[in-house]
Amino acid sequence: MPNPFNPAAYAEAAAALIGLPLSPAHLPGVAANLGVAAQMAAIVMAVPLTPADEAAPVFVPARPPA
Amino acid sequence: MSLPVSAAAIAADIRARRRSAVAVAEAALAAIAAGDPALNAFTHIDRDRALRSAAAVDAAIAAGGDPGPLAGVPFAVKNLFDLEGVTTLAGSKIEVGQPAATRDAFLVRRLLAAGAVPMGALNMDEYAYGFTTENAHYGPAHNPHDLARMAGGSSGGSAAAVAGGLVPITLGSDTNGSIRVPSAMCGIFGIKPTYGRLSRTGSYLFAASFDHLGPFARTLEDLALTYDALQGPDPEDPAQTPTPFAPVSGLAGIEGLRIAVATGHFGRNAHPEALAAVGVFAQALGATATIDLPLAAAGRAAAFLITMAEGGNLHFPDLVARPQDFDPATRDRFLAGTLLPALWLQQAQRVRAAWRAQALAAFEHVDCFLTPTLPCVAPLIGQASMVVDGETLPTRPMLGVFTQPISCIGLPAMAVPLARPDGMPLSVQLVAAPWREDILFRVAQALVAAGVAAAPEVTA
Repeated sequence: MPNPFNPAAYAEAAAALIGLPLSPAHLPGVAANLGVAAQMAAIVMAVPLTPADEAAPVFVPARPPA
Repeated sequence: MSLPVSAAAIAADIRARRRSAVAVAEAALAAIAAGDPALNAFTHIDRDRALRSAAAVDAAIAAGGDPGPLAGVPFAVKNLFDLEGVTTLAGSKIEVGQPAATRDAFLVRRLLAAGAVPMGALNMDEYAYGFTTENAHYGPAHNPHDLARMAGGSSGGSAAAVAGGLVPITLGSDTNGSIRVPSAMCGIFGIKPTYGRLSRTGSYLFAASFDHLGPFARTLEDLALTYDALQGPDPEDPAQTPTPFAPVSGLAGIEGLRIAVATGHFGRNAHPEALAAVGVFAQALGATATIDLPLAAAGRAAAFLITMAEGGNLHFPDLVARPQDFDPATRDRFLAGTLLPALWLQQAQRVRAAWRAQALAAFEHVDCFLTPTLPCVAPLIGQASMVVDGETLPTRPMLGVFTQPISCIGLPAMAVPLARPDGMPLSVQLVAAPWREDILFRVAQALVAAGVAAAPEVTA
């Protein structure tokens, strides 16, 4: 079993990875929002997808000549 | 002179020389001066430009010209639209001191070309990230129907200014519901067109893959008039899909349209009165069919995550350099948005496509479906939580529960107010297939004609 999710610990570790200084005063709000995001992520991760389910944005190299 | 009720009436009067554009602009400035202190809808009032533009309209008419279908109609825009000579704030303190815009946003130019007169810029949630317009820097926008209640967001000033009678039409943006939510709270008409229909050039984006722009009005006729003026090709917007001009003014008749009530996600998560409004409209339309869209909740969750990530990435330099200058409510969401696992984001993008496929398949059987626009009437300003289906939930994210799945996949949607003699406004969301705004206007016209849809009078 994975460890239970600790939003504050995750926020501090991930912020260090991307070079984001995270003020201790902002940490509780960030952790709370990560908690909401985790609830939303649980919903999307539960959707059964197949290898044929492509992502929504389709890269277009340029508009074809008219 | 008091301001006439509708844009159509103003333009008709001015084109027929029954009143001058300058006189109308002065009346609008007086209405704003009298009404805005209570509503806090405006963040910038440009008296000089308004009077200058109005004088140009009058001069064109005096010279025998036709200034356009919105001749002399006062309008205002959410302060994320560029107005030449004004710094575009996007509801922030961070942008204060940035250079002024050197050109009007594309949609502002469209309205000017139709003869409309710009009055200024309107309050919003910081960087459009919110459904409440409880802006920490500029103060909350107040609901004209009850000043203690929210105007909604993020285009709260755009809805409050129209509902409060300060101007007949406004523009806003909608990424997850930011046109439809405030329209519903303030009891007016608002349309979020198909993703890619209207150009976004010259607006401060938020989450570009979901960002839409659109109009607000007190009457359906004005909404159509404005929407028609806004259409036009703009090679500068990479997200715009070239489409032929598709006017909606004057459309009527629902013969042959298959109209259904959405169930599942759209039939719960709401107060009974919000669901009852859908029932009133369904009855008026003779709509007895229902439609279940099982991926709607997942689509909403996908939009939530992608929005957070796109917004967090967009503002990353300021989040590093000056996080203390953000509105606390948006800052913590943007900060969290920079930290989301890539796994979630890619899954969200694939779920978004699966949800789009499901919705497009559903449109083979229905032409329009109805949902509540909001789960509730406008909450009190500062109200942090609400009870829905027996569960206590945070207010802010709940306000987008029905709008967010729709903008996730770019479907055109209109917030239509329930005609109601008293009580706070209620609203129904009409949704159609991509590029079928015409169907939304036809269904809404049927509701207006049946007497069940209209902007409630402000009596407060």
